[in-house]
Amino acid sequence: MTGRVGWSPGPAHWKDDLTPIAAADWSYDRAAHLLAHAGFGGAPAEIEALAGAGPDGAVRALVHYERIPNPKLQPFVESGLWDPSLNPFPESRPEATDRALATGASMGVERKPAGKRPLQPVSDRFFYWLRATMLETRRLGYWWAGRMLQTTHPLEEKMALLWHGHFATHENKVRDYRKMLQQIALFEKAATGNIRDLAIRVAQNPAMLYFLDAQYNVKGAANENFAREVMELFTMGVGNYSEKDVREGARAFTGWYFDDLSFKIDAAKHDDGPKTFLGRSGNFDGVDALKIIFEQPVTAEYLAGKIYRFLVRDDLSQELKKKLGAILRDSGYELKPLLTAIFSSKDFYSQASYGAHIRGPVEHTVAMMKHLGVDTMPGVPDFNQATIAMGQHLLNPPSVAGWAGGTAWITPGLLIARGNVARDVLIPDITGFRDWNFSAGSDDVLGRRLRDGYDIGAATAVNDPANMTAFDRAALERDEKFNTRISGYIGWEQAARKLIPTPRHAAQFDLTKMVLESGAASAGEAVDYLLWRMVRVPTATATREGFVAFLTNELGTDTLERAKSYMEDALRMVVHLIMSTPEYQIV
Amino acid sequence: MSTHDKLAGCGVSRRDMLRIGAGGVGFSVFGGIGPVPAVFGRASEATAASTSGKILVVFEWFGGNDGLNTIVPYGDSMYYKHRPTIGIREKDVLKIDAHFGWQKSMGGMKRMYDEGKVAIVQGVGYAQPSFSHFTSMSFWHTGAPNGGNEYGWIGRTATALDPAGARPNMIVNVSDSQSLAVKAENHVPLVFLDPTKFQRAAFAQERAALDLLDAQTAPLGAAHAYAVEVTRSAAQASEVVRLAWSKYKGKDNVDLRLLDLDKVAALIEADFPTKLYYVPLRNSLFDTHVNQAAPHDRQLEYCSDAISGFFQEMKRIGRADDVVMYVHSEFGRRVPENTSLGTDHGTAQVNFVIGNAVKGGMYGAPPSLTDLVLDGNLENTTDFRQVYATLIEEWMGADAARVLGRKFETLKMFRA
Repeated sequence: MTGRVGWSPGPAHWKDDLTPIAAADWSYDRAAHLLAHAGFGGAPAEIEALAGAGPDGAVRALVHYERIPNPKLQPFVESGLWDPSLNPFPESRPEATDRALATGASMGVERKPAGKRPLQPVSDRFFYWLRATMLETRRLGYWWAGRMLQTTHPLEEKMALLWHGHFATHENKVRDYRKMLQQIALFEKAATGNIRDLAIRVAQNPAMLYFLDAQYNVKGAANENFAREVMELFTMGVGNYSEKDVREGARAFTGWYFDDLSFKIDAAKHDDGPKTFLGRSGNFDGVDALKIIFEQPVTAEYLAGKIYRFLVRDDLSQELKKKLGAILRDSGYELKPLLTAIFSSKDFYSQASYGAHIRGPVEHTVAMMKHLGVDTMPGVPDFNQATIAMGQHLLNPPSVAGWAGGTAWITPGLLIARGNVARDVLIPDITGFRDWNFSAGSDDVLGRRLRDGYDIGAATAVNDPANMTAFDRAALERDEKFNTRISGYIGWEQAARKLIPTPRHAAQFDLTKMVLESGAASAGEAVDYLLWRMVRVPTATATREGFVAFLTNELGTDTLERAKSYMEDALRMVVHLIMSTPEYQIV
Repeated sequence: MSTHDKLAGCGVSRRDMLRIGAGGVGFSVFGGIGPVPAVFGRASEATAASTSGKILVVFEWFGGNDGLNTIVPYGDSMYYKHRPTIGIREKDVLKIDAHFGWQKSMGGMKRMYDEGKVAIVQGVGYAQPSFSHFTSMSFWHTGAPNGGNEYGWIGRTATALDPAGARPNMIVNVSDSQSLAVKAENHVPLVFLDPTKFQRAAFAQERAALDLLDAQTAPLGAAHAYAVEVTRSAAQASEVVRLAWSKYKGKDNVDLRLLDLDKVAALIEADFPTKLYYVPLRNSLFDTHVNQAAPHDRQLEYCSDAISGFFQEMKRIGRADDVVMYVHSEFGRRVPENTSLGTDHGTAQVNFVIGNAVKGGMYGAPPSLTDLVLDGNLENTTDFRQVYATLIEEWMGADAARVLGRKFETLKMFRA
């Protein structure tokens, strides 16, 4: 295995030095470090291409990707769950059914003229869309992860992922996968463009407007939610503005709303009066307010710091943050100069930046596929279930603050989950797998009871129909207008009927071929090759020796030539072990 | 024995402990009895002298508990005006005074209340409330209503108690996913649900090699050191949690139905060093939009029985004076009943603080049922961060202003 050098951080004194590294300091290892941070890692051939391009060429290829063909990316294919009668979708089930009581119809469904539960179809309709958008969002997350895997512009997807966590909205509240899709497209398109323009586009994005209650922010009754988050989380950071700025900023954004997928301004609800905002006075609107925010020096530093911590390392000195902020401000908030400066800098290749980034679960999952040479995201295990188990539900960040990231990605339980997910990728549980899109969870029992001939009342009784108490029966006799529990189930069934199924193939890769092509001849050389290919941070000698002993024992020989006809599963187990190491979690 | 071989802060190596466990010395190792060194917290009192033995257990009732049908204002005629059908009749109430009573199935908590061990806090909420389960709970988790924070209030409490994160396993979260409430800067919350499944999935032949994952003794930088440390504590914690569970005496008692509080009891019985336990209720029936009476009664009965059973266990174990439990939801429910014999998402809620150390009684001003706000809702009379501050400051002895960002008036809820 001579010639394969790994882990060559620059000297410690490169830390905080933004001078570009020299061509003489460029190497395969530095290129691997770059691709692991500016993207999702890659196979040796991809890294060799970057190594051959020199530091300037490699950084340019990653940052100025627009002209690089991206032939594998496919548009999202929708299942056809939406129809326009669902707009405007009620905020709650009571609103949905009250609307039908008041007008005779809701969401395109009329109330029944007579009979039991006249509003049941309306209630069913409400839950249909809740389930439909939730299920389609799972497909959307899987599709997006596939783009991260297949793109030839890894930095574009990496930055889109950053913006999704930074300008955080979650489908659970937005309740419309189409708005989330619109947002992914925005984050991809603006990934490395101008961050001030992106902030304005986000402020006018329907998912964000809904998420931060813009529709309640009207002249005379300003809702502060949006203006506060824009400053606190999206641009300046807490402590750099006053409560008065929040109130005045909220007034500037009054009248902003959306209709379905379009941004609108309602002039009648916009407060056109004079405002004093961040020390400036004028009859500001929302765009003015955002432009003023971007005139604050702290904004450039806050954003540059966030980008740096996402891409490089948590530990960021005040001086470096100021320098990075100045680059961003001096470029008029264009991101490419900042990204180029970061990825070219001695600081980025210094000891402090090596092994300092804990991969988030989505990034980690894409990296696993890259390391295995997989080119299509597998269906078993389920992408969403796997990443949720590891602590990241794509398109559903836990709050408006996004994901904490850094060390918060790793707890004992989450770390164990990472190893368990790796095993499910390497040796998928084909016979134990069940497609969760085709299960309404604990409500499945309702479907069984309905098919067994129970009426709606009996099917949804609190106790099992066979053991129903007098109280249950009394409750069931009521002629309720609708039964939401049954709607929860029916809605799922109706949505799942239309849903395009997620392909359930196992990840396709061949470790035997990979290892033999590397020239490895012994169990030790196989382990060393796999470690070199997949893990940036060196593992402990004892760990490596344990893996070699494991492989030798599994193969019944130390000689790969002797074992090549049957070594695939043993190699897969070795990679399961490798992907379970603490070293594998960081780059 | 090298540092990395030791159970974090416990003084016995993992391999020693397994040998002890496997050798049948049994539970005496946890109690500090017998010839072998004790494993956890109390056993190493000498090293833990600077910390108190106080424990906080948060029991989160997700779903939006209907406070008015929990602590029933049966003496207020407006209650029956708003709730002609689902209002709980006076004859069914377990009376507290001439105005309030416990919902009828909450005999367990009522008994504890009569013993002076339960604080009822009424009207708990925050300004500009969210009616979304998810959003509102994220406000409670972070302690930042209409705002956000990367870390949870329990996580920040751990930071206030132990800024450097020197004490391992300060936080346990009994759940299948980590709550935002426990996310912490320098502490690794121990998150598990089923102790028997809190382990690496592995083929039999991989086991020996998996034992070597944490062999690194010279980590390269802070992130690597952290990952190695968590790998080690994951291996150790999953083993000790499973061992503690296997030794837990309470699980043989068929009359105890503790929901997930049984895992907390097991770890406390095993002298785990945890100060902060966070237990979200699973399979909650508290989201009572429709036909709420039966499921709400049942859910309250389960929870009340679990809480009183848990404190019986604390008494058996000898830790009843050291443990305080806090119960909250993400919001209460709208005052008027809806047309489906249920209630919709609302605002202010009722909280409980429970334990021998608590001065039992009523806290917080009961919201008016006449002057409703926000379309049929209760006005919040106590900011939930006042309750947090009370627990952080008066019980755990940490700086609440540091955790919550500013000073909140506490409720003077604990015995001197």
